[in-house]
Amino acid sequence: MKEYQVVGKSVRRLDALEKATGMGTFTTDLALPGMLYAKVLRSPHAHARIVKIDTGRAEQLPGVEAVACFKNTTRVKFNHSATMTFTVPPMEAVLDECIYDDVVRYVGDEVAAVAAVSERIAEEALALIDVEYELLPAVFDPVKAMEPDAPDIHIKKAGCFLCGKNIPGEKIHLALGNVEEGFKESDVIIEETFYLPVQKQAQLETQAALATVSNNGDITVWSTTQTPHPTRQILSHIFQIPQSKIRVLNPPYIGGGFGVRIGLSAKAEPIAVDLAMKTKKPVKIVYDRKEDFTSTDTRHSGIVTVKLGAKKDGTFQALQLKGLLNTGAYCSFGAETIGVLGAMGLSVYRAPHMLYTGNSVYTNITPAGAFRGFGNPQAMFAIETVVDMMAERLGMDAKELRLKNIIKPGDPWILPYSCQSTGLAECIEKGAKEIGWERRGTLNKPGDTLRRGIGMAVGTHVSDAWPFCGDFSNAYVTIQADGSVHVASGVPDMGTGTRTTLGQFAAEVIGVGMEHVSVTIADTQSTPFDIGSHASRTCYVAGQAVMKAATEARGYALAYAANMLNEPLEDLTILDAVVFCRGDRKLTLAEVARHAHLHNEQFIGVGKVIPQNAPPWLAHFAEVEVDTETGQVRLLKMVAAHDVGKAINPVIVEGQLQGGVVQGMGYALSEEVIFDREGRSQHDAYHKYMLLTAEDMPEIKAIIVEAEDPTGPCGAKGVGETGQVATAPAIASAIYDAVGVRMKQLPMTEERVFQALQELQKR
Amino acid sequence: MLKDYLLPASVDEALQNLQAYSGKAAIIAGGTDIMVNMAEGKVSPEALIDISRIGEFKQIEEEGEFIKLGAGVTHTQAARSPLIREKALVLAQACREVGSLQIRNVGTLVGNVVSAQPAADAAVALVALEAIAEIADLQGKREEPVEELYAGIGACKVDCRSQLVTALRFKALSPNQGSAFKRLAKRKALALPMLNVAVVLSLKEGAFEWVRIVMAPVGPGPVRATASENILAGASVSPEIIEKAAAAAREQAAPRDSALRGSAAYRRDVLKVLVRRALQDAVSQAGGSL
Ligand SMILES: Cc1cc2nc3c(=O)[nH]c(=O)nc-3n(C[C@H](O)[C@H](O)[C@H](O)COP(=O)(O)OP(=O)(O)OC[C@H]3O[C@@H](n4cnc5c(N)ncnc54)[C@H](O)[C@@H]3O)c2cc1C
Repeated sequence: MKEYQVVGKSVRRLDALEKATGMGTFTTDLALPGMLYAKVLRSPHAHARIVKIDTGRAEQLPGVEAVACFKNTTRVKFNHSATMTFTVPPMEAVLDECIYDDVVRYVGDEVAAVAAVSERIAEEALALIDVEYELLPAVFDPVKAMEPDAPDIHIKKAGCFLCGKNIPGEKIHLALGNVEEGFKESDVIIEETFYLPVQKQAQLETQAALATVSNNGDITVWSTTQTPHPTRQILSHIFQIPQSKIRVLNPPYIGGGFGVRIGLSAKAEPIAVDLAMKTKKPVKIVYDRKEDFTSTDTRHSGIVTVKLGAKKDGTFQALQLKGLLNTGAYCSFGAETIGVLGAMGLSVYRAPHMLYTGNSVYTNITPAGAFRGFGNPQAMFAIETVVDMMAERLGMDAKELRLKNIIKPGDPWILPYSCQSTGLAECIEKGAKEIGWERRGTLNKPGDTLRRGIGMAVGTHVSDAWPFCGDFSNAYVTIQADGSVHVASGVPDMGTGTRTTLGQFAAEVIGVGMEHVSVTIADTQSTPFDIGSHASRTCYVAGQAVMKAATEARGYALAYAANMLNEPLEDLTILDAVVFCRGDRKLTLAEVARHAHLHNEQFIGVGKVIPQNAPPWLAHFAEVEVDTETGQVRLLKMVAAHDVGKAINPVIVEGQLQGGVVQGMGYALSEEVIFDREGRSQHDAYHKYMLLTAEDMPEIKAIIVEAEDPTGPCGAKGVGETGQVATAPAIASAIYDAVGVRMKQLPMTEERVFQALQELQKR
Repeated sequence: MLKDYLLPASVDEALQNLQAYSGKAAIIAGGTDIMVNMAEGKVSPEALIDISRIGEFKQIEEEGEFIKLGAGVTHTQAARSPLIREKALVLAQACREVGSLQIRNVGTLVGNVVSAQPAADAAVALVALEAIAEIADLQGKREEPVEELYAGIGACKVDCRSQLVTALRFKALSPNQGSAFKRLAKRKALALPMLNVAVVLSLKEGAFEWVRIVMAPVGPGPVRATASENILAGASVSPEIIEKAAAAAREQAAPRDSALRGSAAYRRDVLKVLVRRALQDAVSQAGGSL
């Protein structure tokens, strides 16, 4: 393996001191002179037409400076997710929403907004807006929503692309071989259906934006977006203003994201911009926690069916997958998530015959969109449970069955790019050793009411979004006149350590220590275009762009130094910010840069990357204890062994894996948003929505496996989402090992496990 | 609107403060309930009277056969007190389950009682201990069993506009007595109970002398499982009789379906398990064998 100076080391994060001391700036912290505060009036109904709206009384309240609703605000259609900026023809992005419409489609939909001198006055003004609704029939169940007599939530018109009753975007169809034949060739066939819940990102910082409009009409928006450049494009589209007159940036920190703001931060940016244009003053909006729960994207709930056929010796012959995702009232990423569900679900195992069909469907609940894993956790809960069942039916060890069937480089697979690396077998073996897999099935005595079990599940993911949609990065790397290095990249750092990791690439390539490197991120004005943070792509793609830019800048510096020293270029190298030549001839990088500066030259590298893609791999193991009398599941230990290609900063990588596992544990056991019969969320606050707490944490062991990918920067692959992918099925597998019930619905709450145990007893 | 924040140094001063505001002031102890209610606009006192500076309110002490807790005693204090752990374990266990460490560090047992929520953890244990509240007003002092302070969900018979709870008092358990607290919740911290059960019992010559079982949330306040108590009183200790008593609690309880706390059917089934487990623990503490 290659020796690195900075890469592969857990260097201190560039944001560590600022965040640990509470000095890091987030959108929520910002204030500008004369700033107004915005508050939103939200729909109390799941589906209704606004027949009358009177904002007069609100406008008259002292301190109120503007009230916006569909009557006085642009109705350009858009999609709040970044999909509208990188969907490549012939595919069409679904543009199905405007800032305020005369129809509301879920409880929490935007009706109007007020800008006032204080948050309290804005809040008071909301109560003075008189709205008359005509109720429309609503539908919440994704299956019912596709029936012919279901209410139409959107109608087909320019921009809003429907391919069936309430089905946005297109139906996905992926095939390899012929599954009918595959099932005929199979000795054992298992088919099961699984039910997935609405999960919420519940990131610490709610959606927020602060917008100002200058006299010239130039717009600046600080916001919580994970994708500043695409957000600028969306704003330019909504307000019909040239992109170059709009600046979008993070200030520079974001309190988490997990996918909830790929594109706009829900509607925070356009609401703030519109009110700033109306009032000619800076306008700030910060969603409260309830709004964040009811009116920002969630994970898609849905139904997944798996049919798996295998030979007696365990060879998989056919795998068929069907997906139905409830995308709620607006499409957001509904058309993409359903595709990733199938693409990821079918790319873990080798089988000559595969088929996936799936679609999203509109209903009158909170829109679903991107959330760490993006369709993949839904797929893998179903697939891995069926693989576990198959092992049992065949009388094989579940680990051996997986080792036998996992994809190897060169195998035919469903994805439009090739698999060039896999460390999955190593992940499985290392994880099994850590959990003590050999103890499986030996942990309980007859009659025990507290029963232990061990389970596992595997999976893969992507390292970017290519070639499913547009995906590219640019970066500038500049060696300043004093030899220090500046990196400019358009990606954000939403807690993922991006700034540090990108800095490490630049330091490594140029040959300087981290103390010489500074990194500007997430600002459309000072960084070149970048898609932003999603699809586990930030390190993988932006890292490549930074490496490329750094290589170019280093080249200029070396060429300049070669001239200064009058030595051949190939004899020069940079180490620890010193340019060395043969013998003991050397110059510090600072000396070279200063000399260049005084002779009118700066070393600026531009890195432009159109990436390939690479599969990260993962094996998760869980040990649980189930209380057979209450159904409660206690997690004892989680192991997450991940092939990350190359861990650029191992501590950051472990943090990503552990964080993903924690969200996966919540998905498995307790996190769920339920809507009542009127479509009202029952879980719209932290004290109602059951994120696991510090007290619930078991030991979580992250194991890093490094099967470097030739396409990745220093071999790195995506790591941001993988921790979520196979956590729930590993826990389900452990529950089965403990008490013999197969859970087919998430979350596996105490009550659901209890019911399953009772049904088992009846049998 | 809140206009003043007072810090009386004595009970008398606090009572005078209450009177001065003639019903428009509210007592604040840990503030973990009242601040939430104020933020939600459910109450809007003109002044808060903070009782945390009243010295004797912080004390936990043994008074003859009683244990006395000042009105300022927090959940953390109760959970960690060696005296309570030894002679009223059920209360230490219950207090340990409240909210999170931060909430336990400031929230008081008296606040827990006065807020009168159906399944307040400490209150459930206090009812099982037959705790008495000492209530003071400008006219004098009176005593009232905690169990009888409930006047409906969230409604306490202590008139907060003029009265102050100064202490809680209950009998310390002797070596032939035992107690236990069991709770079902969706996570280990910051989760309101789906169910909680407190048991206090006394054994005599291999039989139950008396048993007090309290369950929640199955009514407006903590509910005594009287049918179960009656089955056990006087009966000799055996797994069968415990099972029978637990089943009776299941029959008596009428929890409601709740999106947040689980279905009624499930909670009744688990209630039986919790009652049984609490009884088993309390019996073994009291020196009984099963
Ligand atoms: C995040 C969170 C989690 C929680 N989790 C739990 C839980 O798991 N279990 C549980 O049971 N509770 C829980 N609670 C509720 C609360 O913490 C407890 O009820 C606590 O014991 C209240 O005590 P306090 O001192 O904070 O009361 P305060 O809020 O100060 O007062 C509550 C009420 O009692 C009155 N009062 C207080 N002291 C006196 C007195 N001496 N005389 C007369 N009136 C008085 C006040 O006027 C007010 O009406 C939680 C609260 C929060 C915010």
